[in-house]
Amino acid sequence: MKRLAEVLRGRKVICCVGSGGVGKTTTAAALALQAAMDGKNALVLTIDPARRLANSLGLKELGNEETRIDPGLFAQAGLQPKGEMWAMMLDLKLTWDELVRRQARSPEQAERILQNGLYQTLSTAMAGSLEYMAMEKVYQVSTSGRFDVVVLDTPPTTNALDFLHAADRILDVLDNNAMRIVLGPMLKAGKFGFKLLAAPSGLVLRTLARFTGSDFLRDLAGFMVAFEGMFDGFKERAARVKDLLSSPQSAFVLVTGPNPLTIQETLFFHRALADDRIATAAVLVNRVQRDPRRHGGPDNVAALREALQLAQIKDGSGTPPLSERLCTTLIEQSTLADLDRREVERLSRTLAGVPLFTVPRLRKDVHDLAGLWQIDQHLSETGAD
Amino acid sequence: MAEPALLDRRLVIVTGKGGTGKSTLSAALALASARLGKKTLVCEVVARERVSELFGRPPSGTQIRQLLPNLYSVHVRPREAMREYALMTLKYETLYKLAFENAAARYFLTAAPSLAEIVMLGKVWWHATYDMDRGRPRWDLVVLDAPATGHGLTFLSVPNVFLRLVREGPLARDMHGMQSLLADPQRCGVCIVTLPEEMPANEAIELDRSLRSGGFPAGPLFLNAYFASRFSPQEVAQVTTGGPALAASGEAADNHEARASLSAHYQGILGKEVPRKLVPVPFFFDRSFGMQSIEKVASAIEGAL
Repeated sequence: MKRLAEVLRGRKVICCVGSGGVGKTTTAAALALQAAMDGKNALVLTIDPARRLANSLGLKELGNEETRIDPGLFAQAGLQPKGEMWAMMLDLKLTWDELVRRQARSPEQAERILQNGLYQTLSTAMAGSLEYMAMEKVYQVSTSGRFDVVVLDTPPTTNALDFLHAADRILDVLDNNAMRIVLGPMLKAGKFGFKLLAAPSGLVLRTLARFTGSDFLRDLAGFMVAFEGMFDGFKERAARVKDLLSSPQSAFVLVTGPNPLTIQETLFFHRALADDRIATAAVLVNRVQRDPRRHGGPDNVAALREALQLAQIKDGSGTPPLSERLCTTLIEQSTLADLDRREVERLSRTLAGVPLFTVPRLRKDVHDLAGLWQIDQHLSETGAD
Repeated sequence: MAEPALLDRRLVIVTGKGGTGKSTLSAALALASARLGKKTLVCEVVARERVSELFGRPPSGTQIRQLLPNLYSVHVRPREAMREYALMTLKYETLYKLAFENAAARYFLTAAPSLAEIVMLGKVWWHATYDMDRGRPRWDLVVLDAPATGHGLTFLSVPNVFLRLVREGPLARDMHGMQSLLADPQRCGVCIVTLPEEMPANEAIELDRSLRSGGFPAGPLFLNAYFASRFSPQEVAQVTTGGPALAASGEAADNHEARASLSAHYQGILGKEVPRKLVPVPFFFDRSFGMQSIEKVASAIEGAL
């Protein structure tokens, strides 16, 4: 039986993975807080935090800026961290622009790309773009040497676990040989400094143009010309990012809720990671309903009526009587607890060997350091073996 | 002209943050429509099919399957939709193969601004407008279980974005057709599903604004997993301090009221911020979530539509 902090000890990058709405952001922030309390310089890199959490941590909207969480806020929450907690919100477009500037062979080339009409659409709207940039940013900050640990709150991926492949996929799109051949004549025109006026030629190109119009193909050719020669740099960097993430320095934590559909997706993520030979470091189930029956006591209307009487509480007020409403509520919440327990057990059986931690459903939304610390308290209880 | 009731339109779109219950609400809306005697088709466009499963049926796949009387579902996938669309426009299979079944076209599917979304939306549009059976529309209502917020908005804005980049050709022409359906309150309604929690509620507020500024006709806002208050604060206080025999029921009552107060809190905020009909959908404590749960949800929302 280990505490989560022990499971994650020594890791430099922690990626919180899971479907939308399971509390990834909160978990990531709680893990960074734990690390800071333990004396680390910890950064949480988040995509889209709840406004109240962001506000209460003093986070500025976007801009890729590392912000140190004000030590005063810790004092207010009654916490004395031995290290520092930092947070940053990922700005998709800015991260792309930074990457293009870094990899371009000249400032002129960078400008040409940044000015291209398709660059914005392609960079920000393509599926996988956010995943790619999140990985890129994690690599940047974790190799900067400024932090002991970087916790990543990954984007809510619905389709597949795309983090490790997003870069490949996007670079393949940007540097596609087949497309180069198809666009050939248009590309040449661009290279020789003519304006890209060549009309789409060749059967394939003409057929595609019937769907999209030739303007789009012209923009595309222009974009490819502008990117010329930069792909090796991009690819090499993407490979290094992948190396870091699949190294023992990184840990993937699956975050989930007790809902059967969410659990299914979590198992899917787990398999996708395993396919990439990455072990799931831990799985964390948020919002597990605690079973009120653990207190014992009566659970039927007659017995509850008696218990109320003994406690000198009036049963008759309100309709239906208090005893009946209590009984219904008790049954409902016990049902929820049963369902959650069943799902957690199923998860733990399927993921035998992966440390599993549960956080009970809290009475309120978590939106400040005190709330995050409350989560950490639950995580420092021992999990599964 | 007054706007018709939601289920009297041709296309009802359901969107919202991931995990809020979009598929459940899509299924329930479709069931409510089918119960009214309307021939209804649910289209799912996300990677994994859910609606047929909710009705206890095997996945429909890309073939339309009947789930219940008047109720059908189909899973729209980009590759098949692309093929159907291209064939419709190109007529010749060989030409299709030449142009689309090669490495360049695969590239093209990924790189062209949201081509996958376009063809999927195109198919839904076709079912809602051109799919005819003996001279009359095959479907009285098409329900689209749309992707989650971010993707959902991208998905619905695709015709607009595309028309900015591509101004000619058959795709551009069809895009205008889709755009006019998506903007027509007589024929289309876009619903939002949310939960009484901070992130989903905030996202619903932002989504509502984006949808309205995008000109999408506003359907209801469904506040899912709603807990109605059941105990007075005084009752909770008495029971929770009523001794060990009442500890279990006291905790249950306290938890219930905690969730009820969150429900009321976000109902208040959403009611103020979102100019749509707000429909609370009660939380159902079902041991297995299936057909009966969908029936309950359908019955709970029917009166409010």
